[in-house]
Amino acid sequence: MAATGVLLIVDEILPPSGPVAKGATATPKPPETALFLAVRDDGQVFAFNGHVDLGTGIRTALTQIVAEELDLRMDQLRMVLGDTGSSPNQGATIASATIQISAVPLRNAAAEARRHLLERAATLFGVPAGELRVEEGVVIAPDKSGTGNRRISYGELVRGERVELRISGNAPLKAREQYRLVGKGAPRVDIPAKATGEFAYVHDLRLPGMLHGRVVRPPYAGIDSGEFVGNSLESVDEGSIAHISGIVGVVVLRDFVGVVAEREEQAIKAARELKVAWKPWTRKLPDLSNLAQALRDNPSTPRKVLDKGNVDAALAAADQRMTRTYVWPYQMHGSIGPSCAVADCREEHATVWSGTQNPHLLRADLAWLLDWPEERIDVVRMEAAGCYGRNCADDVAADALLLSQAVGRPVRVQLTREQEHLWEPKGTAQLMEVDGGIDADGGIVAYDFATSYPSNGAPTLALLLTGRVDPVAAVFEMGDRTSIPPYDYENMRVVINDMAPIVRASWMRGVSAMPNSFAHDSYIDELAFAAGVDPVEFRLRHLRDDERAADLIRAVAGRAGWQPRTAPQQTPPEGDVLRGRGFAYARYIHSKFPGFGAAWAAWVADVAVDRRTGEIAVTRVVVGHDAGQMINPDGVRHQIHGNVIQSASRVLKEQVEFEDSVVAAREWGGYPIMTFPEVPDIDVLMMPRETEPPLGSGESASVPSAAAIANAIFDATGIRFRELPITAERVREALNGPSEPAPPAPPEAAKPRRRGWKAWLGASLTGLCGVMIGMASSALPFRAEIAPVSPPSAGLWSPATIERGRQLAALGDCAVCHTAENGATNAGGRPFETPFGTVHSTNITPDPDSGIGRWSFAAFDRAMREGIGRDGRHLYPAFPYTAFRNMTDDDMQALYAHLMTQPAVRGGMPANTMRFPFNLRPMMAGWNTLFLNRETYTPDPQRSAEWNRGNYLVNGLGHCAACHSPRNALGAEKLGEAFLAGGTVDGWEAPALTGLSKAPKPWTEDDLFTYLRTGFSQRHGVAAGPMAAVVHELSTVPEADVRAMAVYLASLGGDMVEASAVTRAPVSSANGERLFNGACKACHSDGEGPTLFGVSPSMAVNSNVHSDSPDNLARVILHGIQNPATRDLGYMPAFRDSLSDRQVADLMAYLRGRFAPDKAAWTDIAPTVAKARANPGTH
Amino acid sequence: MEKTIALRVNGRAVSVTAMADTPLLYILRNDLALNGPKYGCGLGECGACTVILDGVAARSCVIPLAGAEGREVVTLEGLGSSSAPHPVQQAFIDEQAAQCGYCMNGMIMTAKALLDHNPTPTMDEVRRALSGNLCRCGTHVEILRAVMRAARLLSSPGAHHDDHPDARSALPADADPCGADGGDRRPADR
Repeated sequence: MAATGVLLIVDEILPPSGPVAKGATATPKPPETALFLAVRDDGQVFAFNGHVDLGTGIRTALTQIVAEELDLRMDQLRMVLGDTGSSPNQGATIASATIQISAVPLRNAAAEARRHLLERAATLFGVPAGELRVEEGVVIAPDKSGTGNRRISYGELVRGERVELRISGNAPLKAREQYRLVGKGAPRVDIPAKATGEFAYVHDLRLPGMLHGRVVRPPYAGIDSGEFVGNSLESVDEGSIAHISGIVGVVVLRDFVGVVAEREEQAIKAARELKVAWKPWTRKLPDLSNLAQALRDNPSTPRKVLDKGNVDAALAAADQRMTRTYVWPYQMHGSIGPSCAVADCREEHATVWSGTQNPHLLRADLAWLLDWPEERIDVVRMEAAGCYGRNCADDVAADALLLSQAVGRPVRVQLTREQEHLWEPKGTAQLMEVDGGIDADGGIVAYDFATSYPSNGAPTLALLLTGRVDPVAAVFEMGDRTSIPPYDYENMRVVINDMAPIVRASWMRGVSAMPNSFAHDSYIDELAFAAGVDPVEFRLRHLRDDERAADLIRAVAGRAGWQPRTAPQQTPPEGDVLRGRGFAYARYIHSKFPGFGAAWAAWVADVAVDRRTGEIAVTRVVVGHDAGQMINPDGVRHQIHGNVIQSASRVLKEQVEFEDSVVAAREWGGYPIMTFPEVPDIDVLMMPRETEPPLGSGESASVPSAAAIANAIFDATGIRFRELPITAERVREALNGPSEPAPPAPPEAAKPRRRGWKAWLGASLTGLCGVMIGMASSALPFRAEIAPVSPPSAGLWSPATIERGRQLAALGDCAVCHTAENGATNAGGRPFETPFGTVHSTNITPDPDSGIGRWSFAAFDRAMREGIGRDGRHLYPAFPYTAFRNMTDDDMQALYAHLMTQPAVRGGMPANTMRFPFNLRPMMAGWNTLFLNRETYTPDPQRSAEWNRGNYLVNGLGHCAACHSPRNALGAEKLGEAFLAGGTVDGWEAPALTGLSKAPKPWTEDDLFTYLRTGFSQRHGVAAGPMAAVVHELSTVPEADVRAMAVYLASLGGDMVEASAVTRAPVSSANGERLFNGACKACHSDGEGPTLFGVSPSMAVNSNVHSDSPDNLARVILHGIQNPATRDLGYMPAFRDSLSDRQVADLMAYLRGRFAPDKAAWTDIAPTVAKARANPGTH
Repeated sequence: MEKTIALRVNGRAVSVTAMADTPLLYILRNDLALNGPKYGCGLGECGACTVILDGVAARSCVIPLAGAEGREVVTLEGLGSSSAPHPVQQAFIDEQAAQCGYCMNGMIMTAKALLDHNPTPTMDEVRRALSGNLCRCGTHVEILRAVMRAARLLSSPGAHHDDHPDARSALPADADPCGADGGDRRPADR
C-alpha cells in the first residue's frame, strides 16, 4: 500500500497447516500479521481474503458483505483473493467454508474500519458518531444549523496518515434490518467481462517476452506412489526435435520433462515428437474393475468414530438381517479448461500466476521444489476454469516454475486435455459396507457402518517427478464427511477405514460425504420398504433431533407433491417407459470428525427408465436447501442448480476406467458428462432462515443426489443399484440379464440386390504367378535412351493449350502423387508403400537435372504410354502408365506443354527400397509384356458422347483403376469383374466403383458428380485420404468433364436397390457408444446437434462404415482429415493421441453395429487399428 | 512451412505468419491477443473454442490457419463489449449464465450462430444446438434461459443490433427471464 494516506485493518493469524498425515503432528507455523482491509486516500477500498473464487461467485458475495458493513456501492470495493503477497493465509478453499468461516474476520475488519472512520468524522464535524450516516462511502452529518448536510468521503478521512488497526472483534456489526445488499440477489461482478472476452483467466495472461512450455509426462499416468515414480526416465533424444523451429530449451529433471518454445504450436509439436525413453514399468494396479474387492484388499486402519448400544447383540437378534455394500467409483473433476500457469523465475525472486485453490500451500510446495525460502516466491491467484477440488494440486504451477527457471524467461505452461484427464488427481473411489436389519415389528435393530476411503494427499506432481519428495502413499483421515448418518439408530457403530491412495486423488466436491450419504439414504429407503412404511415418513420418524431437517424434509415432500408409498412400481408403465420417484436427505458435515455442518439438502428425483435399452432420464428434481442466511440468494440458487446437474451426471454417467493399469479416458468420449439434452427440470426450494448464520452452499445440494436417484430407479424398476454409475448398460443387464439383446435380423428387402454385371475388360489374369521370370527373358530388358534436349521455350504453345494441359494434369492428379508433403508442386519425393517395397514419385517439373527439363515430347510420350524413362530405364507401375496408354495425342501434347511451362524445382528423390526381384528395374520389362496390353481408346457408338468422354477420362488420364481396382500378386490391376471393384492405396481402401460397392445407398450420377466436384455427398460421406487430394484437383477442371466421369461411373453400378432405412439396433458396444456420443457426435449428429462449420457426414450412410474393410474408418479416426478435398468441407481432428487402440476398436465396432446393422461385424478391427496407427501413410 | 495468411477477424483485415497447420485457436489467442476462444480439448468435443467462421459456428481448435485463409472470423470480442454488449451477451449477463465462465464463449458463440439461422428456436432446438458444448459447473439452466431470452431480445421491436461492437441493445433490463420457455420454475420463496 504505497498511498500516503491509508487505513489498514490487520489481525494476527495462525496460518493453518495443510493436511496432516495419519499419525503425524502438524508443524505449527508462527503467527503472522495479516491484512484484511485497506482504505486508500483516493477513495479506493480493498478487501483481502485467503480463499479464492472457483467460479462459485464468492467474490460477489464477499463484496456484498464488506460493502454492506462499510455502506459502499459494490463497485467501490476491490476484493483481492488468494494472492500470497497480500492476502491472509486462510488455508485451502475447500469445505464450502468461505462464507461460513473465512468471511467472518473480513466482516469484522469492515466493521472495525467503519467504526474508526465514523469516529474520525465525528471528531471533525463535532457531532456524536451515532448521528452520522454513510452513503456510498461518504459520511454525512445531518443538517442541524440550516447550513446543509456536511459530507466527507472515506478517502478524505484517511488522507495524510497511515493508520493500522487490529480487528478487536467488538466493533458493532450492522443490524440485519438495515441491510441493503446482504440477503438480496446481486448480479455477479465478473460476468459482464466474462461474457465479452474482457476477463483474463490465468490461461489468458501474457507477459512481455513470455515463452510457451509443454510437459511430457511419464507412462505411469495417474499413479503417484511407488519406487518407479521419479525413477523411470531412461533417456531424452533432443535431436528428435531439432527440425522444429523456435525451440528454446528441453528441461529434464529425473522424470520431469518439459520443452520450451517461442510459439505455442512449436511447443505442442516438440512435446509430441520429443523422443523420450522410459524404463519398463512393472507395477500394476489391482483389478479396478472390481472396486469393492480392490478397496477391501487395500491395507487400512479402522477408526471408530461412533459406537453406541450393542450393535453385535442387536444384529444377532435381527428378524430380517440386511447386509449391503455400496460402491462409489473413481471420478474426474473434469475441469473444462485444462490447467495452465505462468511463471517468471528470476535470480532472486519468482512470481507464479496460478488458478490454485490453496495459494499459500502451493507457495510452500514451490519453495520446497526450488529449495528457496517462501518469501522469495509470490503466487498471484487468477481465476481458472471451475475445478471442484482439482486445483488443490495445481501441478502446472510447479511445471511452469521449473521451465521458467531453466530458461530464465517467463513461461506459460498449458496442460493438454489428454494430460488433464490422465493426471488430474481423481475423486477417489469409496466403499461403504452396512449391516443392519429390522425386527418383527419393522423396528430398526442396528446400523453398523464402515466406510473405506483411499486418501487424497496428491503431492504436487513436480515434487515427485523430480525426486524432491519421496513417492510414498500417505494415509490421511479423510473419510469422515457425513460418516454419521442423520438418523438416530439405537444401536449404531461407525468405522472409517483410513487407507493410502491407490490412484492419485485430491478433494472432489462432496468428498466422502456424497458416497457416505449414498449408503445412508439408500439403506434407510430399503429399511422403510422392508418395514412397510412410506420412506419419507420413515425418515421423519428416525431423524435425529433436528427441527430444521424435519422442516426441510416436509417442505420438499410437499413441494414435490410426494405421494406416500410402501411398494415400488406403483406407477403404470407407458410402453417401455417405467417411471419412478425417490427421496433422499443429507447434511454435509465437513472436515475431520466431528467436523462442522454446512447447508441441509433434500431431493425428490423423478426418473424415467426405458426397460428395453436401460436408458435412464432424470426428468425432474425438486431440491430443498437450508443454508441459513443467504448473502446472495441468487448465487446460492445457482450453486444448487450446478450441484444438481453435476451430481446427477456423476451418478448416471461417470466412472474412471483403467486400461493396462493407467487411466483409460484421455478425452470426453471416454469420460462423458451430462449434456444439455439430458438436463432435468430443477425446482429449487430455499428455506427462509434469514436470522440464522450463513452456511456453506458450494456442495450441500450434491450430497443427496445418488441415493435420491437410486431410490427413484428402485421405485421405477424394483431393483436396487448400489454401485455407481447407474448406466443404461447396468440397468439393461439388471432388467434383462447379462446377454446383450441380439440385433434384429435385417429385413430381406434391406439387403441391396445387385444384378446386371458384365465383365468389362479382358480376361481373368489368374494363374500368371510364376511366369514372370520366364517371360522376362523374351522381352527387351533395356530400352534405348532418348537424347536429351534443351528445355523448350514457353512461347512454343498457345495459352489455350497450356490451360487445357493444366486441366488434364488436374484430371490426372499428377500433383497428388508427384508432390511430397510440404514439398514443391510436382517436385516428387512422395513415398508409396507397396507390397513390393517403397517407391518414391519422380520430379516432373522442367528442372533439367532432377526433373524432366531435358525430356523431348517423344521421351515424355514414351514414359506416359510405356513406362520407360528418358534414359531407357523402366518406371515402376506405381506410376499408372498402363492407364495413360489410351490418351489422345492432342491431350498428351497439351499435358506436356503444361508441365514444361511450370516453374522448375530442383529436388532429389530418395532411393526406392524395393524387394527382390522388383528392385531390378529390367524385370519390369517382363511385367510390361504381361500387363501393358490396353489399346488407344475407341469410342462406343452405342453410348452418348458424354459417357464416352467419361470412359476415356476414368480409364485413361484419370487412372481411377490404379487405386480402385485390386492388384494381382504381381502388382497389376486386375481386370474382368475385379475391374474397379475396390483396391488399396497408401493404407486406404479405395472402394469399389462398380455394383460390388458396399455403400448403403446406391451411387447415382448426381451423387458421383457432387462427390467428385466437392468431396462430399450427403448420402455417402466425405472424401478423405488420397481421394481428398484427387477431388481437390477435380475442383479445378471443367464441370463437364466431372459430369462425364459421373455419367460413366454411374453406368457401372447396374441396378442397385437402396437399402431400407437403418433401423436403430441395440448397441453392440456400450463403450463404443459412449465414445461416439462424447467424441464424435458434436459433428456427426445426424441433425440432432449443432450446425458447425464444414459438412457433418452422417454415419448411417458413410461408405467407410458399410465397407467390408475397416481400414478407412480406422485411418480417419486415428489420423483425422487435415487436408480435405476442399476447404469448405471442414476438418476432422486426429484421435491417435487421445484414443487407445482398444477405444478405437470399440468405437468402430459400435459404428458398424449401429449404422450398418445389415452388414456382418468386422472380425479384424484390432489388427487394422494397430496397423493404421503404425503406418500413418502420407495422405 | 511457415506461410503468411490473410483473413478477417472481427471486421478487421489481418495477416499472420505461422505454420499453415497451426490451429486457428492459437493464432487468435497468441497472435491476435483474443481471450474469448478458449482451449478445452483440441478435438472439437467441448466447444470452448467456438468462433463464427463465415457465418457458421466453428471449432477453432480443429481448423488450421490455412482453413481460415480469406475467411471472416468473429470471436466473442467481435460481438460486443461489457459497456455495449451484443443482445446475446446481454442475455447471458441478465440470466447470470456463468459460474466459472470458461465455457461461456462457446455457449454464446454457438447461440449467436443458432439465432442467426433460427431466430425463434424452441427449447428443444436450443438443447440440441448446445448438445456439443460441455459445461462442468452445471450452468445449463441459466444458459438455456439466456438463449431463449436472447431470442426474444433480438426479435423485440426496437432492438437494432447489427453486430457492431458499438451497437447497443434496446432491451428492457427486467425482461421476463423465464417466459414461455418451459424451463424450470422459479420457486415462490424468493
